[in-house]
Amino acid sequence: MRKFCLPLAASAALLLHGADMKIPFEKYTLKNGMKVILSQDRAAPVVTVYMLYNVGSRSEEKGRTGFAHLFEHMMFQGSANAPKGVHFKTVEANGGSLNGSTHPDFTDYFETLPSNKLAVGLWLESDRMRSLAITAPNLANQKEAVKEERRLTFDNRPYNTAIVDVWPQLAFQNWQSSHSLIGSFEDLNAASVEDVTKFFKTYYAPNNAILCIVGDIQIPEAKKWIEAYFGDIPSQPQPHHPDLSEPGKFTPRTEVYKDPLAGVPAVIIGWPGPSRRSADYNALVMLDALLSGGDSSRFSLDLVKGKKSVISYESNPGWPFASASDYKDPSLYATNLLHNPKFTGKEIVGQVQDEIAKIQNEGVDIKELERARTFLRATRIKDLQSALTRATLLAQYEMFDGNPELIVSELDTFLAVTPEQIQAVAKKYLVPEKRIVLEIVPAPKEKK
Amino acid sequence: MRLHMSLLAGVLTMTVNSISAQTIDRTKPPETPPLPAYHLPPVYETKLPNGLSVVLLQDARFPLVTVRLAFDAGSRFDPAGLRGLAEAAGALLTEGTKSRTSRQIAEQAASIGGSVNAHDSPDSLIISASSLSEHARKLLDLVADVARNATFPADEVKLYQENRTQHLIEQRSQSEFLADEKLDEVLFGSNPYGHTHPTPESIRKLDIPALVHFRDTYLVPNNAVLIVLGDLPARADLLKMLTEQFGDWRKHAVPPVPMPPIPAARKSLTLVDRPGSVQADVHIGHLGVTRASPDYFPLSVGSTVLGGGTSSRLFNEIREKQGYAYSVYSHHMALKDAGVFGAAMQVRNEVMGPALSSMLTELGGMAKAPVTASELSDVKNYLSGTFVLRLQTQDGIASQLAIVKTMGLPVDYLEKYTTRIRSVEPDQIQSAAKKIIAPDESAIVVVGDAKQIGPALEKFGKVEVTQEKK
Repeated sequence: MRKFCLPLAASAALLLHGADMKIPFEKYTLKNGMKVILSQDRAAPVVTVYMLYNVGSRSEEKGRTGFAHLFEHMMFQGSANAPKGVHFKTVEANGGSLNGSTHPDFTDYFETLPSNKLAVGLWLESDRMRSLAITAPNLANQKEAVKEERRLTFDNRPYNTAIVDVWPQLAFQNWQSSHSLIGSFEDLNAASVEDVTKFFKTYYAPNNAILCIVGDIQIPEAKKWIEAYFGDIPSQPQPHHPDLSEPGKFTPRTEVYKDPLAGVPAVIIGWPGPSRRSADYNALVMLDALLSGGDSSRFSLDLVKGKKSVISYESNPGWPFASASDYKDPSLYATNLLHNPKFTGKEIVGQVQDEIAKIQNEGVDIKELERARTFLRATRIKDLQSALTRATLLAQYEMFDGNPELIVSELDTFLAVTPEQIQAVAKKYLVPEKRIVLEIVPAPKEKK
Repeated sequence: MRLHMSLLAGVLTMTVNSISAQTIDRTKPPETPPLPAYHLPPVYETKLPNGLSVVLLQDARFPLVTVRLAFDAGSRFDPAGLRGLAEAAGALLTEGTKSRTSRQIAEQAASIGGSVNAHDSPDSLIISASSLSEHARKLLDLVADVARNATFPADEVKLYQENRTQHLIEQRSQSEFLADEKLDEVLFGSNPYGHTHPTPESIRKLDIPALVHFRDTYLVPNNAVLIVLGDLPARADLLKMLTEQFGDWRKHAVPPVPMPPIPAARKSLTLVDRPGSVQADVHIGHLGVTRASPDYFPLSVGSTVLGGGTSSRLFNEIREKQGYAYSVYSHHMALKDAGVFGAAMQVRNEVMGPALSSMLTELGGMAKAPVTASELSDVKNYLSGTFVLRLQTQDGIASQLAIVKTMGLPVDYLEKYTTRIRSVEPDQIQSAAKKIIAPDESAIVVVGDAKQIGPALEKFGKVEVTQEKK
């Protein structure tokens, strides 16, 4: 809840991995348009109820930055039959955990519960979809909570203002993508009960949502419950989704941000990426695995160890968010490198570009690629141990790609990428002419 | 992925009722069966002749193998002038051995779909590793090599020193880190439990002889437990592999655990000045208890009622009702020979005074009156249920087993955990709260802009102001 998938907490890379795994699921649509995905799995006596809404910060309007996230807070403020406090209390009193998070292109909510408590999660999610309590006192209280969150997460911590407020402005030209996800204090103050009500009606309708349930469940029983709890929530006109395309011709750009809270310099480098699920996208995923996946990646061996310049890094398609699913198209491939102050940001950019140039010029060693493939496969298997991860991927792949089956099959697609394709994608996308750079430089605090 | 072997055998059959929109009552939460009991899969324990404890657990749900090799060798074993030695030794174990370079270790781990790394805690140094199960033999070979044959190459040590220095600067630019660091110092004085992080000086002083001495003193089989779980080879084959890799590892006596006295709890108020801070980080702490203490489970339940989740008292009062803070919580952590109870929040400068008052009132309230029946039952369910959620993954099970073994507890501790949580009574919580949670003798550490928040703090007692460390 209440938190962005925090940029600096983003794991280094990889949405990948899998092979020789089977994840059975069943997909159907209720009469009101709500999509449902059920996946039975007896590995552990737990169940995840995952609710995905097709709305994020890129759906916001000018003057209402931070609205999607503020609304996510409102979703925990009570509904007709589960008043304020009851959501938290009910999940925890039933032995479960819960959260919600706001992303550029989606907002999600989940409860993970002991598997005989499935109905509890369905009751809570359906009650707030049906009858959220949007009141002036709740809104006032949550505006304060969000402001406090902003102070904590951004205004009092190094790097985060640069990553969440400055980087999108530099990286994207379309306002839908470039504005702040957490929003400005002015815009938060301006949000009215009417705005929130309209947003709820538009985007939190069943026909704009996907419910995914993964765990030790009985499918027929789960279906009956879902119908009983969600079946008669009325659908709404399909919401309008704004045009996210980037206007005009790309110009490479570099900016320096002076961060009074930072003690160590960092540099963010990004390149607009290929469209999702294209052949180039698959090759870029493998290229990222070679550059940044694990201790034997090129960044690790050549920059952290070889050049002794980079201290730590994270990169993935969709950065600064945790996964490629955080952005529909258009998206970026980006990397964030904390570096030794003996080197300038410009030198680090040069070293990263040299690493990429090696692949552009010399291609990829098959042994190295084989290692990256094994690493991806194992990482994906590890990730899929958790019911929440499985629910998240099934639902997101339905929303973004219309194909939950990708949870297993995308790995095979990634593993089939050839050295030539990786070399080609490096040449086509990761070039200086298509590059965006943000140097974060520690700056002395201003005297008061 | 083959999901047969039930980790939690014999759990849950659901009664299938006929349900429809007409028959369910949406105004009330659905009635569901009570939480299932937890059954740990069978754990096999043995000991090699050299004293290495071995714990094996078969978990074939996923084609992975997970290993923990844990030594009684955490930061409490750091010499006074060389804080961070255990941490450095852990980080450098995987940077070169007699037969492998740092690069070879990284490449070989990745090529079996795995990773090998080592981290320290106050009590332990733990090598964590995993791979695809088909490569179990290679994984054990790597783990044994880094545990037994680390050489601490000079250029790797130098790079570690440089990067750790920068990392420490980065850590100290975060106010939560400064608050934690200071609170540990205040609570534990010169006891090594109070110094879990290095200093710029100790990083500079780090050298190869100190690392070698640490390795030879503490990284010995009779000071370690090896946990192997996952989709394992047949028992006899696995034991043969373990004997090949670890059997000729020489044991020797380990010096006694250093345990200088911990100062008695006393009230204090420390302000770490961080000019320009728009928020104040407030950490209130008190010495806690070990897992063997009769107060451990009452304190677990009490601390959760107070600030352990989104329906806790602190969350409701300070965040939801007053809107003073986004993050507010309490927790307690058991070490092997001590413990810490703490409550923390980050508040904007303007509400420093009332927010601290509220928090102190809530802490005191835990000692004044017993928790309510509904708080008690909710929290017992919460702790029991989320305990099982944590065991979904091999890493989750491995971490729990490592805690049990490094804390010297019996393996059935995990199976009995929920029963013990459920047997806690309100008067036990109140009694633990009087000793530990009530703030009469607590240390308060605030990190923030002294100019902005100093006056508000002075109303709570004598303020000792220190400068933020860089």
